[in-house]
Amino acid sequence: MTHETATSLPVRSAHRHEAHAHVGGAKPPTHRNLGLTPSWHIGALAAAAAAALALGVWSMNQVNPFQIGGAGLIDALPPAYFVALALSLAGFVASLSLRRLVPALLTWQLLVTVVLLDGADPIIHGLPRLEASFRHLGIADTISQSGQLDPTLDAYFNWPGFFNVLGMLSGATGAKDLFGIATWAPVGINILLLAPLLALARRLTANPRQAWAAVWIFYVASWIGQDYLSPQAYSFLLLLTLIACLLSVFGGWAWPTERTRFSRWLARSVSKLDSSVPRYGAAEPHRADTAILVVVCALILLAMTASHQLSPFAAIPILAALLLTGRLRLRFLPVLAVVLPVGWLLFAASTFVEGHFGQLLGSLGDIGANSLGALSNRVSGSDAHMFVVYTRMAEVALVWVLAVAGAIVGYRRKAPWLAAAAAALAPLVLIPLQPYGGELLLRLYLFSLPFAVCLAVLPLMSDSAAGLSLRRALALLLMGAVLATATVVSRYGNDGMESFNDDEIALVNHLYATAPTGSVLIEAVRNTPWRYQHYADYDYRALVAAEPIPNAAPLSCDAANQIAHKAGAYLIVTESQQEAAELRGSTPTGDLQRFTATCATSPGWTKVFENAGGVIFHIEGVSNGN
Amino acid sequence: MATERSYVSYATAAVAVAAIPLSFVGPEGLRLAVIGLLMLAGPGTALVLLLRFDPPRSAQATGALPLSIAIAIAFSLAMSTLVATAMIYARLWSPPAAVCLLSALTLVFLGIELKRPKRALVRAK
Repeated sequence: MTHETATSLPVRSAHRHEAHAHVGGAKPPTHRNLGLTPSWHIGALAAAAAAALALGVWSMNQVNPFQIGGAGLIDALPPAYFVALALSLAGFVASLSLRRLVPALLTWQLLVTVVLLDGADPIIHGLPRLEASFRHLGIADTISQSGQLDPTLDAYFNWPGFFNVLGMLSGATGAKDLFGIATWAPVGINILLLAPLLALARRLTANPRQAWAAVWIFYVASWIGQDYLSPQAYSFLLLLTLIACLLSVFGGWAWPTERTRFSRWLARSVSKLDSSVPRYGAAEPHRADTAILVVVCALILLAMTASHQLSPFAAIPILAALLLTGRLRLRFLPVLAVVLPVGWLLFAASTFVEGHFGQLLGSLGDIGANSLGALSNRVSGSDAHMFVVYTRMAEVALVWVLAVAGAIVGYRRKAPWLAAAAAALAPLVLIPLQPYGGELLLRLYLFSLPFAVCLAVLPLMSDSAAGLSLRRALALLLMGAVLATATVVSRYGNDGMESFNDDEIALVNHLYATAPTGSVLIEAVRNTPWRYQHYADYDYRALVAAEPIPNAAPLSCDAANQIAHKAGAYLIVTESQQEAAELRGSTPTGDLQRFTATCATSPGWTKVFENAGGVIFHIEGVSNGN
Repeated sequence: MATERSYVSYATAAVAVAAIPLSFVGPEGLRLAVIGLLMLAGPGTALVLLLRFDPPRSAQATGALPLSIAIAIAFSLAMSTLVATAMIYARLWSPPAAVCLLSALTLVFLGIELKRPKRALVRAK
C-alpha cells in the first residue's frame, strides 16, 4: 500500500498548495514541510493498538456470561474493556492527525477496533451468534449432502447462492462442522468489508483522511449485527464492491448532457448543487479491461441476486441515484439490476412467490405500517430492553443528523456530497414495498450507512489533506467514543437471547440422538440453537415466536399436546428461550418456568434429558397409546 | 512492485494447483485452509493481476489497492456462488469438480496475464 501524503490531494487542493509554495518562495526542505513523521510515532501508535487489542481480549475473557442481563453485554463488561476501546479510538484519531497518513498503521488500528467491537461473541461465548447462524449451517449441510434444493421447505432454498457456496466448501473439504467459521464470521466479515468500504469512501470524499475517517465511523456505528454467517452479510459485501467498482471505473454521465432539455437541466442542477469533480480514487483501465470489468460487475450482481432476496432490490435505487447524479455512466446496469431480481422471482423463486403472494404484496404502499408500524412493534419489552431500544434509535438519529449536517457543510464548502447523499437516501424508496418481517428499517440503515458516514465526516474534518487540528481531532474522538459506546449497548443489547452456551448445544445434540428421524420437534419459544444438522429430517415447530406480543397469554400444555396429538413429539425448553421470552415480552414474566414445571407432571409427558442449558420432554401421541 | 506481483502470482498459482488434489483427499484442516482461500480470493486475484490494478507512480497516485482487494474477493465469491448454483440447478452437484473448475479458471487468468505485455494498464488518480 502506498503512503498517502499531501501528494494524494484532490486537484483543487494540490493547486492550492502549489500556490502557497510560490507565495512563500523556495523553502529548503525540512523535516516539517516534507511531511515526515518520526518512525517512533508510528511505532508507538502501532504498539498502543496492540496493547488495546491485548487488553480488550483479556477483558472480554473475564466476562461471566451469567452476568449478562436485560441490557445485554454492557452489564458484564469490565472497565478494562472500555479502557482498551478508548485506547484504540484515540490511537486511530492520533494516526489520522499525523502529517503523513500511514495506511498500514490505519489498517492495523481498524482491525483492532473490529476485534474489540465485533469479536465479543466469539471471544466470550465461543459459539455462533443468533439462532439463524445455526439454521444457516444446517441448510448448507443439507445442500452439501443431497446436492438438491427443496424450494417448498422454506425461502432460503429459493435464494440458495450463499448456502451453495458453504455447501461446496463443506463438500470439497470434508469439513462437516463449520461452527468455527460461523463463530468468527462477524469479525471475518467486517475485515472483508474494509477494502470495499475504503474504495467506496475514496470516491465519495475529498481526501484520504476523510475516507479513512468515514470507514472508521462505519465500524463504530454499525450496530445492526447482520454480519453473522448469513446471505445478507455476504450480499452486502458484494453490493459494496459493486458500487465501489462502478464509482471508481465507470464514473461520469451516462448520456451527453446537452442532448435533451431534461439532460441539460439535470446536469445543470447537479453541477449547481455539487460542483466538485472528484478524481480521487478513480481508475481508468484500458478499453479491453473496462469491458472485462463490466462483465465482472454483471456477475457480481447475478451472484447477489442468487443469494439474497432484499440486497439486489436495494441495489436498484442506489444505482439509479448514482446514474442521476452523473456518477455512473453504465446506463444498462440499473436496468440489469431490475431484470435480474425480478426474473429470479418469476423463474427461480416461483415456488416461494406462489406460496407467499399475499404476504409479498399485502403491505404494498402502506408506508406507515412498513416504517413506523414496524418500529413501534420493536419499542417494547422489559425496562432494560427498552434502554437498549432507545439507545439504538438515538444512535441512528445521531448518524443521520451528522449526515444531514455533512450534506449542508459539503454544499457550502463545495466538497463532494451529492452522490453520497443520494445513495444514502436511495434505499428508503423500498419502504412502500413491504416491511420485510419488521426488519426493513434496520436493513435500510445498514444499506445507507456506508454513504451516510461519508457525509458525517464533513462537519468534523476540513477538505485540506493536511493533518487534523487539535479541536477537530478532539471532536472526532468524542463522536467516535459516543458512537462506539452506543454500539456496545445496541449491538449486544440482546446478547442474552442471541448467544448460546455449550450446555444448550449438548441438549440439542441429545435431542437429535434421541428423537427418531421424522419426529415432530417443538421449541417453546423460537430461539433454539438447532437445525445445524438434520435440517430437513424433522418437523420443526414453535409454540411462540420470539417477538413482542402485547398482553401475551401464558403458554399452555394443551398447545404442545395438540401438536403432539397424532404421533407424539419432543419439546425442548432452553435457557436462551427464556431470555428471549423475557426480553421481547413474548410470554408473561416467569411464564416459561411455570410452563415447564406444570407440564412436566402432565399425563403423557416424560422428561427425557435435562442439563444446565435446558430440558427435553417427550410427549406421547394417540398412536403411542395415550 | 514487479517482484511483489510475481510473488502474488506464484502464491495464487500454488493455491490453485494445491486445491485440485486437496478437493478429493487430504487432512481436513489443510483442505479447509487451501480450498477456503481459493474460493475466497483465487480467481479474483488472478483477474486483478490480469487487469493490472497496481498503483502507478504519478503525482496524483493514491493506489488502487483497496479496489483491487475488493474486486479480487467479490469476484472469487461470485464465481464460487455461480459455479455451485449452476451445478445445483443442473443436478450435477460435485463440490470437488467445482473446486477444480475454480482452480482452472484461476490458472487460465494467470496464464493470460503471463502472456500479456508488461506495461501498466490502469491509471489510478
